Amino acid sequence: MCFNCPVEDYCQAAMFYSAIYSILRFPLETANKGPVSTQLELCFMRTPSLSSHFILCRLIQVRWKRYAPAFLEPEVNKETLHKEPTELPEEEKKQWDFKTTRPIKAAPSSVTSSVFSDPLVSFPAFCTQTLEAIKRKQLKKYHEASEEEKVNIECNPYTIFHQALSNCKPIVELTSISRGGRFYQIPTPVKDSRQRFLAMKWLITECTENKNHRTFMHVKLSQELLLAFHGEGPVIKMKHNVHKMAESNRAYAHFRWG
Amino acid sequence: ITARICLNGIVNQDVQIAEEKPRAIFRTSESNPANHTEQHDCQHYSIPLEEVKVIFPHGLPRRFKEQIETFKEACLMVRKPAVELFGYLKSTNFAQPAIRYVLYGESGTGKTMTLCHAVHYCAKQGWLVLHIPDAHLLVKNCKQLLQSSYKTERIDQPLQASAWLKNFRTSNEHLLREIKTQQKYTWNKWDSTEEGRPLVEMVEQGITRMKTATDVVGAVLKELKRQCSLGSFKLLVAVDGVNAFWGKTTLRKRDKTLVSPEELALVHNLRKMVMNDWSGGAIVTTICQTGSVFKPRLAYLPHELLGDEGFSALEPFVPIQVPKYSEKEFESCYQYYLDRKWLQHEKARTPDGRAELLFLSGANPAQLERLAAML
Repeated sequence: MCFNCPVEDYCQAAMFYSAIYSILRFPLETANKGPVSTQLELCFMRTPSLSSHFILCRLIQVRWKRYAPAFLEPEVNKETLHKEPTELPEEEKKQWDFKTTRPIKAAPSSVTSSVFSDPLVSFPAFCTQTLEAIKRKQLKKYHEASEEEKVNIECNPYTIFHQALSNCKPIVELTSISRGGRFYQIPTPVKDSRQRFLAMKWLITECTENKNHRTFMHVKLSQELLLAFHGEGPVIKMKHNVHKMAESNRAYAHFRWG
Repeated sequence: ITARICLNGIVNQDVQIAEEKPRAIFRTSESNPANHTEQHDCQHYSIPLEEVKVIFPHGLPRRFKEQIETFKEACLMVRKPAVELFGYLKSTNFAQPAIRYVLYGESGTGKTMTLCHAVHYCAKQGWLVLHIPDAHLLVKNCKQLLQSSYKTERIDQPLQASAWLKNFRTSNEHLLREIKTQQKYTWNKWDSTEEGRPLVEMVEQGITRMKTATDVVGAVLKELKRQCSLGSFKLLVAVDGVNAFWGKTTLRKRDKTLVSPEELALVHNLRKMVMNDWSGGAIVTTICQTGSVFKPRLAYLPHELLGDEGFSALEPFVPIQVPKYSEKEFESCYQYYLDRKWLQHEKARTPDGRAELLFLSGANPAQLERLAAML
């Protein structure tokens, strides 16, 4: 939506009594099509008498996600940044020179150049306690075990997390398709992103709903992750159930292709 | 740039030496703190777990207790402030009034651990240790406040007093059996302790009858102060968070008015203990912002945390600063965590990972421990 009317028509003196009822933001068509653009902000405020709504407008600078095509992705990897441009092979040198001429997008705050960054653990501030809980349990077992058993005990919380997640990922799931007016549940392969989503969703729902509400979430999550790592636990059971249902509806699989 | 290359060189050398002789760098086999000198600086010494149960029934930080459970050993780093403090303690003149030592420093730098090191040293030497683990717990979140029967304007804290007496008995049982009371104490209509009875009886009286616990604490402190000057035993008063005694509390009386610290009987008696009007021991205290009430987060200097009242009450004292980890201490801690398999991430072993740990933690011991827990 674009407003090309003068702003003064919309500005009225408003009395600031009560909470802002709603804020609507409309992008203005300006020459600048980069990440920073101007927006017209309409604030609807309620007066105490509930008789009328005052409208307050202002122009604000807003940074938003849609960049013009000229913008390039930022380089976050420390190793590539430390390399001297003269050392690179021809093609990469051309890329480097190209990047010096073009504008670069702002790096999102979830991306770090940290050595310890992990794409799956995207919010480490939340996962610190879970990873610590897993590590403490495993290390306690490790230090109490005999020499032969020590080799089998995995203490790295990241490997446990990744392994547990991959153990919980379903390969096929049932989707509803209508053929001849009737709806059939047919088994379909699950995409990578949906596998990840389902595994994490099941783990979190299991912890939130079926455990004691007085225990902390990180304790519950660490228990579930350890069980999933060993191939036991309710989440693995859920995955096996989904697979069984898909297996039982195998006859309808050809409906996927009409 | 040259400084950075030099430092990198030193770090690489340290890492190489550590790989050849891993235990030599960051561990020492000297488990008696009395023998810890500059030579043992930055090395970890372990306390046997049975001793930990006796000497530290309360007083160790929560995360350190979890670490003991995980690693199955209690290892403390010998640092310069502790060695300095031991030098002063060894050269105390027990005929002179007790000297007060105040450990101060930024949040997470290891003041409580240094205090625990001092407690271990004095316990090994046979001193009687009066360890108040966290004085802030006396001035906030206390349930069951009673009006004192001894002085009506004061307030009793039966739960805190009885819990403290239990732990005090565990750590000092053998000495408490030998010290006898010098006057008769009447707790209430039915209970009293005669003259000449061992202090253990009085302590047990306080633990079983919670209503008299605060009065028992007051009486125990009075007896210890009186008898310490005679020289039969040496007394260490170790208070963590002594700035709680002067300032404000978050407690309210039944009529919703705020309680000031002097109105709490425990705080009143402990303030008397921290005065330098007795001889035959030492007073080692810590000032702490972490559990304090109504103090700004970044304050760590003695005058900021103690306030005018507390500073003039504690004056004169010997201030000992507990700094963040130096390069050598950081390396020692890093090697210890690697040895105990606390740092599990593959990248944590690399020089890049180590540099990142140093940067993120800012050489602050508590921050380093929390970061290493995540990795």
